[in-house]
Amino acid sequence: MIVEGILKGAVMMSTPLLIGALAEVFVERTGVMNIAIEGIFLIGAWAGFVGAYLTKSIGVGLVCSVVAGLVTGAIYGYFTVYLKQHQIVTGTAFNILSVGLTLYLYRVFFGVPLLPLTVEPLSSINIPLLSKIPVLGEALFNQNILTYLAFLFVGVGYWVLYHTRLGLVIRSTGANPEAVDAAGINVEKVRYWAVLFSSAMNGLAGAFYSLGFLGLFTENIIGGRGWIAFAICFLGNWNPLGVLAGALVFGLADAVAVSIQTSAFKAIPNEFIIALPYILTIVATIARKHFNVPAYLGTPYVKERR
Amino acid sequence: MKRSKKIALSLFPVYSVFLGLILSGLLMLLLDANPLFVYKKMLIFAFRDAYNIADIFAKATPLMLTGLAFGFAFRASLFNIGAQGQFYMGCLATVTCSLFMNNFPAVILLPLCVLASGVAGGLWGSLVGYAKAKFNANEFLISMMSTYVAIAIMNYLIRGPLIESKGEYPQTDVIAQSAWIPQIIPHTRLHWGFVLAVVIAALAYFILWKTTLGFKIRAVGMNRDSARYAGINEKRIFVEVFFISGAFAGLAGFMEVNGIQHMLVQGFNPYLGAEGIGIAILGNAHPLGIVFAAILFGALKVGGNLVVQTSSIPSSIIGIMEGLVMISVIFSYFLRERILIRMEKKMLQAEDRKEDPRV
Repeated sequence: MIVEGILKGAVMMSTPLLIGALAEVFVERTGVMNIAIEGIFLIGAWAGFVGAYLTKSIGVGLVCSVVAGLVTGAIYGYFTVYLKQHQIVTGTAFNILSVGLTLYLYRVFFGVPLLPLTVEPLSSINIPLLSKIPVLGEALFNQNILTYLAFLFVGVGYWVLYHTRLGLVIRSTGANPEAVDAAGINVEKVRYWAVLFSSAMNGLAGAFYSLGFLGLFTENIIGGRGWIAFAICFLGNWNPLGVLAGALVFGLADAVAVSIQTSAFKAIPNEFIIALPYILTIVATIARKHFNVPAYLGTPYVKERR
Repeated sequence: MKRSKKIALSLFPVYSVFLGLILSGLLMLLLDANPLFVYKKMLIFAFRDAYNIADIFAKATPLMLTGLAFGFAFRASLFNIGAQGQFYMGCLATVTCSLFMNNFPAVILLPLCVLASGVAGGLWGSLVGYAKAKFNANEFLISMMSTYVAIAIMNYLIRGPLIESKGEYPQTDVIAQSAWIPQIIPHTRLHWGFVLAVVIAALAYFILWKTTLGFKIRAVGMNRDSARYAGINEKRIFVEVFFISGAFAGLAGFMEVNGIQHMLVQGFNPYLGAEGIGIAILGNAHPLGIVFAAILFGALKVGGNLVVQTSSIPSSIIGIMEGLVMISVIFSYFLRERILIRMEKKMLQAEDRKEDPRV
């Protein structure tokens, strides 16, 4: 029972990390780091909640989170891709702004409610028969729609990245932008679209925290999860399959933490368990020797001036 | 280039501060507040009396240090995103010192606290530099994650060994008076730590531009490969830069614990590290610019806090103002660069014409 519960929790908690990290793989393969990821997670969580609360429809909420991510990404991409401003610096500005903005706009919409506002979270979709498989059934076949989408996205993402022309363009834009440019493809356009795509997905990933199981929005609802998704992209070596493995490990850490926190087991201080995913990231970053970093990651593309 | 034009260009970040404030003002309209009225109130509040004016500088003190923490590493093209964690480590060290060595007189205790907080922040930071030097780990990721680990350590210590004697809230006891940083102006919160912070900024300038270490740091920052060919041990620089940078952030802990709070409260000042990044950007990663940018952010905080207390505007507006000012400043750097390139082109064309009358 406990094992089944933890496995189910692990798959559930890995969902937003998986979506965010996969999105980051695509944008970083074109040479742009989406450092605004933490902020976009938060904005997505906020917009998803607001949309769902006002319309009483989770579907509308999810659309809102994608649109909010898209809008943020449009501005972030404009600054980093077209104005060629520093990605880390710009991203940090966006992350600071997003904390103030979501809290402020929550107040604009809802004033100061006495009790935290809630919505009905996404319900699980039980796949008949398959969900009855012992141990793994509940974990893999009784989850909400976003989890299924995330796993579908791994396969589709892998196929697009390695088996299509689009994937070749994406990979080449990060590895050798000059060659892409020489082939008559607009490097900035590829990068901008990648930022838009990743930001929309990040918005959706953020909505998982507000709509996926909690059904509410708070200031620290994301609490560094965006950074963990960002780290998983690195640790997964910019490969959708590597990212899948990474997300599952972190999801498992999250699920184990939750079950230890709620159990009577008190030998390990709570704080250590909370810090576990972050320590794991540090250890994994240090332990991994060979990274396949896209050659032009973080470098704006400037055409040679005549 | 004409001198007047040069000055106009160098003032670009200042104009962009106003742009950021105008954009934040538009958001105030959403809560049916008149931004002009709010800003007027902010100005009046911030400069109403000696207490508030002094408070601007008191608030600027830790911001200056976390700004220096990011700016100093930035000069070596290193990203110290973990100033928040280094700050908390500094807090823990200084509060431990202040609580357990309280029978020392202030002349010994205060320097001890300075040392403890600086070294604690520095060591915590240099772990990041070491990971980068030894394992070629991404310093951005590691420093980011180290903050969350530091928060966990702080929460654990405050909940456990360092908890107040009443044992009720996650906070320490009030530290002895001898560990308080003396005030500059009595009955205000402005303490001598502000002067120390300015001196530290001057020290950062001195290290960067007047010492061999600083030359090496800047060489690594400009071009890592050529610095290596020139015989600079870049790995050593990584550790040294992160130690110094972390020490700056750790000292911010001394300022806040011994200068303002006189105790350590769980999770206080949660955005000091992030604001430091904004301040470093606003100040162009130059110590002098960072000093002024920190004072500006201090004024925003003091004015903002008072407006929040007396109107319907929530405190999150301060974060919005900070964020929008940062984004406007980044935009202004783009504009300035573009204007400079255009002017250079014009000058070159003019010279071409002089030399070759046919063009």
